[in-house]
Amino acid sequence: MAAMDLPVRGVARAASPAALQRTGAQSVLRALTGLAALASFMIIFLMLFFLIMYAWPAIRFNGLAFFASPIWNIGNQYGGGTVVRNGFTAQSGAAFGALVFIFGSTVTALLTMVVAVPLSLMVALSLVYRVPRLIRPLANALVELMAGVPSVVYGLWGMVVLVPWIGRVLAPWVTTHLGFIPFLGGAAGSGNGLAASVFILALMVMPIMVATTRDVILAQSNTLFEASMALGSTSWQAMTWTVIPSVRKGVIASILLAFGRALGETMAVLMVCGAAINSFPQNIFSPVNTIAAVIVSQLESALTDASGMAQRSLAELACVLFIITLIVNIIARGIMRGADRAEGR
Amino acid sequence: MRKTLALALAALLLVSAGGRALAATDLLETGSTLLYPLMNLWVAAYQQGHTDVQITTQGTGSGTGISQAISGVAQIGASDAYMADAQMANSPMLNIPLAISAQQINYNIPGLNNVHLNLSGPVLAGIYSGEIQYWDDAKVKAINKQYASKLPHQQIVPIHRADGSGDTFIFSQYLTFSTPSWKNGPGYGTTISWPSVATAVGATGNPGMVQTCQNTQYSIAYVGVSFLNQTNKAGLGYAALENRAGKFVLPTAETIASAARSLDSKTPSDERISLIFAPGENSYPIINYEYAIVNPKQSDGTKAAELKKFLGWALTDGQNMKFLDAVHFLPLPSSIVAKSKAQIEKIQ
Repeated sequence: MAAMDLPVRGVARAASPAALQRTGAQSVLRALTGLAALASFMIIFLMLFFLIMYAWPAIRFNGLAFFASPIWNIGNQYGGGTVVRNGFTAQSGAAFGALVFIFGSTVTALLTMVVAVPLSLMVALSLVYRVPRLIRPLANALVELMAGVPSVVYGLWGMVVLVPWIGRVLAPWVTTHLGFIPFLGGAAGSGNGLAASVFILALMVMPIMVATTRDVILAQSNTLFEASMALGSTSWQAMTWTVIPSVRKGVIASILLAFGRALGETMAVLMVCGAAINSFPQNIFSPVNTIAAVIVSQLESALTDASGMAQRSLAELACVLFIITLIVNIIARGIMRGADRAEGR
Repeated sequence: MRKTLALALAALLLVSAGGRALAATDLLETGSTLLYPLMNLWVAAYQQGHTDVQITTQGTGSGTGISQAISGVAQIGASDAYMADAQMANSPMLNIPLAISAQQINYNIPGLNNVHLNLSGPVLAGIYSGEIQYWDDAKVKAINKQYASKLPHQQIVPIHRADGSGDTFIFSQYLTFSTPSWKNGPGYGTTISWPSVATAVGATGNPGMVQTCQNTQYSIAYVGVSFLNQTNKAGLGYAALENRAGKFVLPTAETIASAARSLDSKTPSDERISLIFAPGENSYPIINYEYAIVNPKQSDGTKAAELKKFLGWALTDGQNMKFLDAVHFLPLPSSIVAKSKAQIEKIQ
């Protein structure tokens, strides 16, 4: 706020008529921007508020079992009976446990980062320092193009090309030859599953990370790299010791952006994840399910639940996703502040 | 520049005005992917003689069909499942049978896809609950003596629907009616809580089921009979199923008709009845009415009139075998046609 006040006062002190007129415009602008700033808070707050309001019966009905149970069952729609818990009604047999989906969302997003972060860093560095000047514009354009491809296109490609390949070639080979490594042995499955989801997600988030990382490296002047080369470091040392630490903050920001995207991605994951229900993945080829994907795949069934509890429980799932994203953002702020302090700003 | 813009705008206006003038009443059909292929054939034929109505069809799953018919987005919600009592109490809808369908149990076992394995409700329940894990399990061998030596020691991949589906409804109903442990466990519905099986995969829509089964060796899937041409093309095998009389029967016109005959007199006037696990030596155990879920109180009178006309056509001209044969459906018996027509009269 203080930074915004300064120029306004500066203008007010210069007492020419034109400047005075400008002050009027300034205060209008100030009110408008203030309102816009407030609106972004209000929108987030209201969204969460109404989501929780809507999910309230489910929150009461499910209790803590929501976070502890892996069983998701909208109940026996044709059985006729209902159950009441904490004053809220669901179809008999209903049990809403989100553990499988919370686990699935977190693990797919984390594994995606494990795959995508080193690769994106390397691609960004080579785009800046290694790719010949002649084809650099083309390479840059390709990265931006990849970032713009709608997720459902990645999903479709995953379904038609990637999943059959994993199911027929990769998974059988890995499970037989590398099966002694934990989480690589066991059933090869159909190709739909954790590995396919991570592959697709990595493909989707990498262009974002590459583009942002490349831009922060470019924004840093070339002198750091050149100075470090002049001091006799190899280009690997110059990149890892000098360039990357100097753009740490930008890289962290891009990682978190990508992590958020991986957490929230719905369609592409739904198309390749194998839609696991009630079961945790046994190895990296097992089917999984994420919060976002299960909300979509279960929504229509939930709408046929006469008690309405299935819809409410999906809303509760949405709340959980919302809160996870919020936590990721808060951690991100913390890391950035830590990075600031380390840089002595 | 401005001139071209104005011209373009004028052209756009003309086109939209022209569209308005020709505008037919729009009807939307959405839901069951099992009924979808037939709806496409019907609508294409119906539109030739009826230009005053524009019918759009969508294969989205029975769950969507039912909920969008209730919400009013769609005029016809296609469903393989009739609505539950609790749903009917919330939103009374007409459940109008349009044809008789069946479901095949497909499998992808290299070397055995050209023969018909025998499968029973209890064996399928064992596979889908993880108790039977391998194709050479003693319980599978016991009902497939002629292929016992050919059944591979490979893990079974049970594929189920991830979306709300009438196919899940009729499949899980077969397991419920034939297997006490399934009845006391997952039960039946358009979406059920599948037992935890490590290899189990969820797929979306009948096309997704066919594709996943084709891509996955040693998998098993339940697929609507209207996809028989696709499953044959995909090289999948389909099973003979054990019926109530203990006989293993293939889904053919005769076995489906036999099952339908055994239950048509029991069909109530609101036509919500399960045809699963019908009595009779020669009855195929997984058959069902394909329903149009329709709101009896339409918001738009013109739409209601067009809707009645189309549904009436589907129950008369639409029952012609040239449509039904293509998707391996059977026509409704005349007593059921009469009941369906009586229900259509209730649409306002």
